[in-house]
Amino acid sequence: MSAGVGQPTSHRRHTARWVAAAALVLGASLVAVLATRPSATATEVNTPLVGTRAPAISGTTLAGQAFDLASMRGRWVVVNFFASWCPPCQQEQPDLVAFAYRHRALGDTALVGVVFDDAVSSARGFARSSGATWPAIVDGGGQIALDYGVRGPPETFLVSPSGIVVAHLDGPVTAAQLDYWLRREQSGVT
Amino acid sequence: MNAALGHSGVWLGLVASLVGAAVIVVGLARGRPEGTRAGRSYAVLILAGAVASTVAMERALLTHDFSLAYVAANNSRATPVLYSITGMWSALAGSILLWGLILSGYIAAMVWRFRRRAADPLVAWATLVTFVVAAFFFGLMAGPADPFRTVSGPVPSSGLGPNVLLQDNPLVAFHPPVLYLGFVGFTIPFAFAVASLVTGRVGEGWQLATRRWALFAWGFLTVGIVLGAWWSYQVLGWGGFWAWDPVENASLLPWLCATAYLHSVLVQERRGLLRVWNLSLVIATFSLTILGTFLTRSGVIQSVHAFSNSDIGPLLLGFFGAVLAGGVGLIAWRGDRLRSPGGIDAALSREGAFLVNNLLFVGFAFVVLLGTVFPLLYEAWRGQQVTVGAPYFNTMTVPIGLALLFLMAVGPALPWRKATLATLRTRLVVPAWAGALVVVACVAGGVRGLAPLAAFGLGGFAAAANVRQLVLSARTARRHGTSVWWGLVGRANGGMVVHLGVVVIAVALAAATSFGHRGEVTLRVGASAVSGGHRIAFEGLAHERSPARTATEALVVVDGHGPFRPAVSQFGGGGAAVGTPAIESSWRDDVYLTIDALPVNAGGRVTIGVTVQPLVSWLWGGGALLVVGAALAAVPGRRRRATDPVSAPVPPPRSRRVGGVSADGPSRGPLESGSGETGADVERVDETVGAGSP
Amino acid sequence: MNRRPSRRARQRLAWVGLVLVVGTALAVGTGRGSTPPSAAKRAVSIEAAVRCPSCEGISVLDSSAATAVAIRRAVAARIHAGQTDAEIEAYLTSRYGPGILLRPPVHGATAWVWVLPPAALAAGLAGIAVVLWRRRQPDRVWVPAPDRALVEAALTARGGGEGERGR
Repeated sequence: MSAGVGQPTSHRRHTARWVAAAALVLGASLVAVLATRPSATATEVNTPLVGTRAPAISGTTLAGQAFDLASMRGRWVVVNFFASWCPPCQQEQPDLVAFAYRHRALGDTALVGVVFDDAVSSARGFARSSGATWPAIVDGGGQIALDYGVRGPPETFLVSPSGIVVAHLDGPVTAAQLDYWLRREQSGVT
Repeated sequence: MNAALGHSGVWLGLVASLVGAAVIVVGLARGRPEGTRAGRSYAVLILAGAVASTVAMERALLTHDFSLAYVAANNSRATPVLYSITGMWSALAGSILLWGLILSGYIAAMVWRFRRRAADPLVAWATLVTFVVAAFFFGLMAGPADPFRTVSGPVPSSGLGPNVLLQDNPLVAFHPPVLYLGFVGFTIPFAFAVASLVTGRVGEGWQLATRRWALFAWGFLTVGIVLGAWWSYQVLGWGGFWAWDPVENASLLPWLCATAYLHSVLVQERRGLLRVWNLSLVIATFSLTILGTFLTRSGVIQSVHAFSNSDIGPLLLGFFGAVLAGGVGLIAWRGDRLRSPGGIDAALSREGAFLVNNLLFVGFAFVVLLGTVFPLLYEAWRGQQVTVGAPYFNTMTVPIGLALLFLMAVGPALPWRKATLATLRTRLVVPAWAGALVVVACVAGGVRGLAPLAAFGLGGFAAAANVRQLVLSARTARRHGTSVWWGLVGRANGGMVVHLGVVVIAVALAAATSFGHRGEVTLRVGASAVSGGHRIAFEGLAHERSPARTATEALVVVDGHGPFRPAVSQFGGGGAAVGTPAIESSWRDDVYLTIDALPVNAGGRVTIGVTVQPLVSWLWGGGALLVVGAALAAVPGRRRRATDPVSAPVPPPRSRRVGGVSADGPSRGPLESGSGETGADVERVDETVGAGSP
Repeated sequence: MNRRPSRRARQRLAWVGLVLVVGTALAVGTGRGSTPPSAAKRAVSIEAAVRCPSCEGISVLDSSAATAVAIRRAVAARIHAGQTDAEIEAYLTSRYGPGILLRPPVHGATAWVWVLPPAALAAGLAGIAVVLWRRRQPDRVWVPAPDRALVEAALTARGGGEGERGR
């Protein structure tokens, strides 16, 4: 601000320089933060659900059978929220198929899908055409998605054999990422 | 063919701006005026390049040339002509092309306007800065944001078509170009500000030269923002017109700094004060247009507008950083020269009011910027996600807005240099009573709540105070023997009209957000229900099938008017279905209709969302007033020759040279001002002699 | 000042009357929070503050997305069950994290976003006040010592003494 003639030149200059330096530091930090944003792959999200009991999932699958998550107690469960209209879900589907195939043979981990805001016929067609073999539950009214705090597909949850949510992954996952997280949590628990 | 023409246009623009910049630099370094003058011809080449690229892009869109990746992504055979034309700016690369076109146009206009001063180092440096900015944007187009990239692989037979939300309202033809005319327009004052710092001529010359440029850019930016609000109101389906969306905020930030600048400039012209403020505000405005483009185009913050994730994000961010660092550095370097000859004598004066005005606008901008980037900063710091949404912005900005309304009322009545409370009391008693009566009328009419009442009361106060200024100015014009209408043009009077527009908008905002009603009616064919004070009747469904649009419409009659057709539409034969609302507008309120649920089976019931908001049409009316005011402010007012006595009559301007500030440098010193002020000053001198102000 | 006392008195009266009128009107207009809000009003106010999780930055009240509809239904059910606003927001936060609320929490690390703007504005106003107050002080020209010595030398060289030192 330019008020005050009776101030010595050097003092005035230093004020201007300090203000300029401060503005520059603030601007640089803003630029630094904006420049270091994450990219679009699956990231682990730290929501309040992680570490608590997995909310119940019960309903009818796309194949018409009844399903309850409680019946999976004793095994690791990967809960995958998906929709047929979501491109990252289409992107991760082959990886999930490979993951399911490998672990069905091993028998230690189960994969469960939940339909997110999609017509049953579209979801069924998507599952069938991608070769998905795991049960996918129809989420009437979006209540399951609400219970799990799902913002938008694809989101994947890792549930321990005792029924605790141990990881929440946001974005399209790969089979390698799922294996990594499984290994990390399994070594942590036992 | 289109790709070749487009590419050559882009490269022509890039090379011309780089070579032109080099020629000017050499001319300045050697002190040769021919060098700096030669730089002008390069502006024509840049414009030619931009026009060639634009013609190529529009031709490609109109002839559905799907060999271009951009056309394949944003156009289809079923797209109507209008939306093919607007497809040029529907997505990232094309909007950079639009920016380049508008920037080239502004540069050419600037070079033509200052042609007689081309040898002046100030103008030369300004031209150089604009060439550098142009080189940046053409460089983006030549590299990462190439609009003329050809499709890899076979040429598709049809494209994806424009984004669904960009196809159902003709406002898409106006909002982006007008907004860009505003954004890009601030490049010129910025260039002159940098030139003034570099050449050390930090007086008022650069401001007087760019006064109308800043005003035009501000005007376009204001219209662009209002059009954007209107467009989202008509299209997006929740009856809202301002969601504090990051992209909306990105357009508001430069507007706030520009408005502060337009006010603060008056102090520098009158008394040579606030030089650092003005330079900082201009540099901040331009930097914020770049930051806004970054926030919009990089997808770093998701919003209704975010089109894509792209490589240009880091480049835009880098450019923003460079502009900021350069500007701040220049101001620090010239710090000693920026001391003003004098200071603010008293807090209660018009200078003091403008200083507080600056502070409030900058504070407003700080709130908006902080709220927009805080989620990013928090996530970087804490790793957790937090949302800063409309409730935060409303809570923070309403007090600032009310303070600004108050200043708008008091400011024009404050004399320069020093005022007494007695003066203010005399001048403002009638406007204050107007505001009081408005409050009483509202309370009597059932309005409750401190914020809306304060907004209405202060709005009445400000409106009456500004009308008082206009009346004084008109009276002065009549006294001097000219038509009363001369009392309404000129910067000061145009400013009063703009303030009236702001008051109308503030009142509309307060009413619409505080007293809106939201409801749903579920109706069978032929049934009706009352919602929000209006009778809503459902008359049946209609289906529209055309290559451009497939829609199921509900025929709704509101209070006997209609039928209105809210619909669920699909565009271009595929893609997501979106709800398209229908609106019944009156001066009192808007009834906003959407289809919330279609009947499950034939003859079933439809659920219609009804949102009733009072005074929404006043928003658009206020926006029109803003434009009228800006246009009035651009007209040269009546100016008295500096050597005439104060009581001499002021002639209407014979020519632009006499009336306005000519391009060849200021013909008047900084003491000249619009007749509205001087005339009103005369009026006020007569008034206050009687009251005996000290 | 005493030329037209009646005019000044009339003006004073006008302003005093104004303050009384506005004060009364505001008192009437902002009081009366007596009736508790209805369930529908509560739902609207809660939903306006909750973000639609799958949309970009709009509230659950404004959105028609599936997640928004689900949350609206859950909110309505919980209001019906008698939960308070704070409990409902706590439930949603326990599912989605604090990012589900459009208003960042006032406590904790997010308090900065609430505190910084008023603090900055207050600092700015204080800065203006300080600068203007300093302006009012009598002009103290700070003369650096070398300059002072130069002037002294020049004056004595001219042969003048104390008496010719002006200002």
